Amino acid sequence: MNFDWTKDEAELIKRVAGLWDEAALADLAALETAALETGDGSDLAALTRKQIGRLAEAGAFAVAVGPSAKAETLRWMALMENVAQASGSLLLAAESSVRLFGGLLAGWGGGPLANLLGQVVSGEAIGALALSEPGGNQPQTGGRTQGRKEGDGYRVTGTKGFVANGPMADMIAVSGQVEGKTAFFLVQPGQEGVKIGPRMATLGYNGLAVSTLDLDHAFVPADRVIGPLADDEAVRFLHTVQDLILVAASLGVMIRTHNEANAYSRTYHRGAKPIYSHQEVRFKLADTFTLMQTSQLLAYRAAWFQATGEKEAPVLIHAAKVFTAEAAEKVSSLAMQILAGRGYVMGNPVERGYREAKFAALAGTTSEVARMSIAEDVLRRFPVA
Amino acid sequence: MDFALTEEQVMFRDQVLKFAKKEIAPRCQEHDLKAEFDWEAWRKMGEFGLLGLHFPEELGGGGADVMTSVLAAEALGEAGVDGGLTLSLGAHTYLCADTIFRHGTEEQKKRYVPRLASGEWVGCMGLTEPGAGSDAASLKTRAIRQGDAWVLNGGKIFITNGSIAQVAVIYAKTNPDAGHAGISAFIVEKGTPGFSVSRNLHKMGCRTSPTSVLSFDDCVIPAENLLGVEGNGFFMSMQTVEWDRSTLLAPFIGAVAFCLERSARYAQERVQFGRPIASFQAIRRKLADMKIFMEAARSLVYRIAWCKDQGRPVNHLEAAVAKLFMGDWSLAPANDAVNLHGGYGYCHEYDMERVFRDSRLAPIGGGTSEVQRVLISRLM
Repeated sequence: MNFDWTKDEAELIKRVAGLWDEAALADLAALETAALETGDGSDLAALTRKQIGRLAEAGAFAVAVGPSAKAETLRWMALMENVAQASGSLLLAAESSVRLFGGLLAGWGGGPLANLLGQVVSGEAIGALALSEPGGNQPQTGGRTQGRKEGDGYRVTGTKGFVANGPMADMIAVSGQVEGKTAFFLVQPGQEGVKIGPRMATLGYNGLAVSTLDLDHAFVPADRVIGPLADDEAVRFLHTVQDLILVAASLGVMIRTHNEANAYSRTYHRGAKPIYSHQEVRFKLADTFTLMQTSQLLAYRAAWFQATGEKEAPVLIHAAKVFTAEAAEKVSSLAMQILAGRGYVMGNPVERGYREAKFAALAGTTSEVARMSIAEDVLRRFPVA
Repeated sequence: MDFALTEEQVMFRDQVLKFAKKEIAPRCQEHDLKAEFDWEAWRKMGEFGLLGLHFPEELGGGGADVMTSVLAAEALGEAGVDGGLTLSLGAHTYLCADTIFRHGTEEQKKRYVPRLASGEWVGCMGLTEPGAGSDAASLKTRAIRQGDAWVLNGGKIFITNGSIAQVAVIYAKTNPDAGHAGISAFIVEKGTPGFSVSRNLHKMGCRTSPTSVLSFDDCVIPAENLLGVEGNGFFMSMQTVEWDRSTLLAPFIGAVAFCLERSARYAQERVQFGRPIASFQAIRRKLADMKIFMEAARSLVYRIAWCKDQGRPVNHLEAAVAKLFMGDWSLAPANDAVNLHGGYGYCHEYDMERVFRDSRLAPIGGGTSEVQRVLISRLM
């Protein structure tokens, strides 16, 4: 057992942390209010591409892309935590592109798609993954998006909701079914039959562009199709990656809001002394710190389970997802209470974190589904004596 | 970072679990009802080597690392060993024997550690007083040097193992004007004139572990019974309470694992409305929450064990975080386990009510949750 980062891990974390200079932080702050595309270099698409490119240059995408790089999951978690601390929106945009879209290509793409993977990992291209549907997620429902063989390709029809990076992606991988088997169809904006919905207004992560996607008999050539696949391993892989990203997002929310509340408590005075000196305040900070550290250790352990192929990895990841998501809601709420009126004003890190915290519990594997899955495992492990 | 346990650690944990399920756990309910220390279980644990696991073999210990000791303690809880017995073990091994091992002279180590490690003698530690608990600087017990002896006067309260211990590590003021630097530690043996146990306290949980009130009335001990350096007692006591916040927490994690296993099996047996209650999501949610808590708590406790194995003497922040989390969040799983068992959960026969009572000590013993919050907010 070793609770210290190794030299390699520490160096990578340091390199990524070094990206967040004053200018980068200004860009990240601007992300939250930026319009999608204005063409003047200050829009959301341009700012996101710029920061994803910087992450790529720092080596952030040289690890843990695709199922064969599973052994690097713990290092990846540490990286994500660092990015999430700087900006949750950037984390979700970058990871949706590289480790969801790119991870799919790395694991199941091959052939002509290898070039596309290179562009995504280098930050030249932005990818997106369209999994969820208005009627439910795969593999639980099997998915309603259908591909029908036609000549040297497939004619695809279906609707997807909540596509992260959808409005600014160069390429979108859309999950669907071909004669009952899972397939992923790679489509491009502007392609005939591909309609990307308007950018959605969301409660949090306002620096992330999310949209719906409609495919109306869109033709996808065979060399842009992954599958039909023999099993749902790819879907399971993507759900796991999604959950780990959301765990990191929750860590980021906690670190940002706890740090802000802690700093504020030392400078804001009440009764001629900093509010930190009042137990009502500092006990809240002790709770936020405890929840944050507990969450970090559980997240690292879950990532390590995944990296080492431990049998219980899926349970640990679900446990980490539920715990960190709920802890993030609690921590951001306590932080806002400490900042009082200032915390309630739009635009400060605590207010932003408070809005963002909710997302992790309802995205990916929801807390309800994760709890059901954990309980199922427990009952299997301890049958009637 | 690496969370792997060694093969030896896993093997030993499994051995302890098996041993405790067979030899110790079946005895616990009866002794808990009688509020009686289980000498037979103590003897068996001594024979198995559980009472001095981390001491060197030449002193009668098992030569294990702290992590192994934590795993063993967790396994005891998981087997269903009551909180009283694990509390007695903790006070004996870590609060008493370990303090002598770390700070004692060679003579002191040779005299006490082997006897404690084998279980031949029981040890206790006396820090808390009626007017001084977490605020150790306000101790009133005095130790005055008189020639080749120290004379102790004062009283201690909430002393685990007090009435059954042959040896006690006692903290007293040697210089009342020096604050923390005026506290020293002493070894006091049972039978020393002036040292007596006034009474045992009746407790809500951990009932098999005697909790005593100690009195020192012109208690004269030899000068060589000073433990460590005079005036260094506060530092030693802080090292000691760190054990309270690490190894001694491990059985609580084990107890949650015990609740989880019992609850999962019961939920699949118990039929209501024509189907096992395990089929209701409200029941499954409780099982999931127990599991989530257990996994979250594990890393915190393992981290302190690892820090200690790295030779880091003081890990107050890590220890306080683990103690606060265990203390304030561990009540929910025990409460859920009682509820899941319904009326049976409220009765002795199903063990859950005992675990519920035992777990109530977690936010109190070894420094209350409030004290942990003070520490965390100061150190973070």
